Amino acid sequence: MADVRRTSAEWPDRTARRVAPTLAAAVEALANTHERGFTFVDTQGAERFYSFHALHAEALKRSYGLRRLGLKKGDRISLIVAESDDFVLTLLGAVLAGVVPVPIYPRLGFKASDGYVDTVAHITNAAGSAAIVTTEQQEPHVRDAVPRCPSVTQLIDMKMLSAAAEGEALPPVEISPDDIAFLQFTSGSTSLPKGVVVKHRNLAANCRAFMYEGLQANPQAGDKGISWLPLFHDMGLIGFVFGPLFTDIPVVFLPTSSFARSPRVWLEAAHRHRATLTYAPNFGYALAAKRLKDRDLQGLDLSCLRVAGCGAEPIQVGTLRAFADKLAPTGFKPEYLLPCYGMAEGTLAISFTKLTDAVHADRVAPDALQAGKATPAADGAPGNDIVCCGTVFEDHEVRIVDVNNPHAGNPLGERQVGQIITRGPSVCESYYQNPEASAESFKQGWLYTGDLGYLANGELYICGRLKDVIIVRGRNFYPQDIEWCVAQIEGTRRDNVVAFGITEDGEEKLVILAETSRMQAGALREEIPKRVLDEIGLQPFKVELVALGTLPKTSSGKPQRRKTKALWTSGQFVASTHGAAPNGAAADAQEISE
Amino acid sequence: MTRTELIGLFEKTATEIAERDIKGLSELTEISSLGIDSLGILELVGEMEKQLSIQLPDDQLVGLTKIGDLLDLVEKRRKLAS
Repeated sequence: MADVRRTSAEWPDRTARRVAPTLAAAVEALANTHERGFTFVDTQGAERFYSFHALHAEALKRSYGLRRLGLKKGDRISLIVAESDDFVLTLLGAVLAGVVPVPIYPRLGFKASDGYVDTVAHITNAAGSAAIVTTEQQEPHVRDAVPRCPSVTQLIDMKMLSAAAEGEALPPVEISPDDIAFLQFTSGSTSLPKGVVVKHRNLAANCRAFMYEGLQANPQAGDKGISWLPLFHDMGLIGFVFGPLFTDIPVVFLPTSSFARSPRVWLEAAHRHRATLTYAPNFGYALAAKRLKDRDLQGLDLSCLRVAGCGAEPIQVGTLRAFADKLAPTGFKPEYLLPCYGMAEGTLAISFTKLTDAVHADRVAPDALQAGKATPAADGAPGNDIVCCGTVFEDHEVRIVDVNNPHAGNPLGERQVGQIITRGPSVCESYYQNPEASAESFKQGWLYTGDLGYLANGELYICGRLKDVIIVRGRNFYPQDIEWCVAQIEGTRRDNVVAFGITEDGEEKLVILAETSRMQAGALREEIPKRVLDEIGLQPFKVELVALGTLPKTSSGKPQRRKTKALWTSGQFVASTHGAAPNGAAADAQEISE
Repeated sequence: MTRTELIGLFEKTATEIAERDIKGLSELTEISSLGIDSLGILELVGEMEKQLSIQLPDDQLVGLTKIGDLLDLVEKRRKLAS
């Protein structure tokens, strides 16, 4: 039986560090720290330093502002702020007031606004937010959502908030570990958004685990974080705002857009600030390795780093090695790279590799893997490289259970592939006011991750996903949302569209199959990618238009995503595509349905 | 640099980022029709900024949908820079 449980006794060298019981208490505990704090860099490169003392003082003022505007403990607010300093200060203000922040990504350029307003409305309604808090710049993009959100009584901008923040101090609000710290929506879903309920005790447990056990963070040793990760995403927000606040670690925040424009900005800032800790999803390392020229690295000394973590999407060992090779002249060492596994439902981090280990991939035989067994490939034989994601934290557990009969009490053995389940103090309990989705993922204290993996020598390896979620560049996309979006286009309809992800060149990509009549195929070929990019923000890799009646369906007429994917991957849909074999479509349809 | 030359620079940069040939663009081409996601578009903007030694602020990128809109902003910022 493979059951990995860590106890304190197994971490003899671990300093018995504790953290504050709530995020509010962690922020208050930093009120007298003047020498360390957060540095916010804007898109022009200007830096603004807030000592933790100043951060606490400003957050406290904003908490008074929110309270004077009528917000009470337990109320939710949708928080849509692009500037990292205003975002962090307002979010912490809400936390100190006991108000539950719901971060929503700000509107990005080059997109039609309709899809964005839908996202804001859907998330705000799912959270039942009492107010939308935003900036003057974002307000025009958010305003149209307000009439569609019955719970929203105010649209608050930064000017209103700072006016309300002035005045006498208010008595503190009591925050307990069982109170909700914030709601983390895992996608800008158009159908049924799910907000993970993150309580203060989950946050405290996870931040303690990954900061102390995982990273062995120590302010006295000069640790300093640097991050360009978006703050409305769990890795950016929990990894670089909350974790460092619980453990007194200074951080430099760069705008995500600055990194996307020029990855050198990240490394240059890490060099200048002598940063020790950073993180990025796999695509961040790929983008940096691709865009950086050797001359970009001149004058950079990155030997200051000790951790360059990687998570939030499937990890490719080749990508990490290419990044390490590229950066070798800067003093960057391959062992800085630290693959991890986690998800919002587990607050953030679930497993970490050891700081001293180089990135390790397991080469397993592909045919055995398909049969559910991760047998190491023979020397010289082809194999799938699966990156090791390390071990779980103290007081947490991970098990692998049968995909068809997932039961925590009946775990699979060593190297057997199944669904990964986990439990422990970091694991959340539910999605906000969504009992149906909650019952699917959270059972008797266990989180059913929907990810496929196996354990070998107590270490966790991630093979893929059981759930149909498509992860591109660290963002989760639900096929239901994409299918819904496509089905709104004239010439397609509900239950006649299937979306799924495939892996191509080490990256996950979107494939859409839609049934349509041949007459409409021409226009749809252009309209579908455009609409999906506009509304979902994801560029389809392939759009296949197939004859009516070709997609495999369940007895109740719902499309069968996994079966469709299997047929498409094996090449069976190409022949039935409109235009490819105009006269063969019906025959192919027949063949597929048999 | 003329508008035509700017479109040429845009095509060259887009081709590099998308890693496939992108040509025949016009002022009226929708940026979303290029098949490049928002991060890729920012990469493209960053490369144009570098080539032209200008800055295109994030907040002014919001709401631009056609290539001509982006070129209007580029020209405005080039005038400011000179």
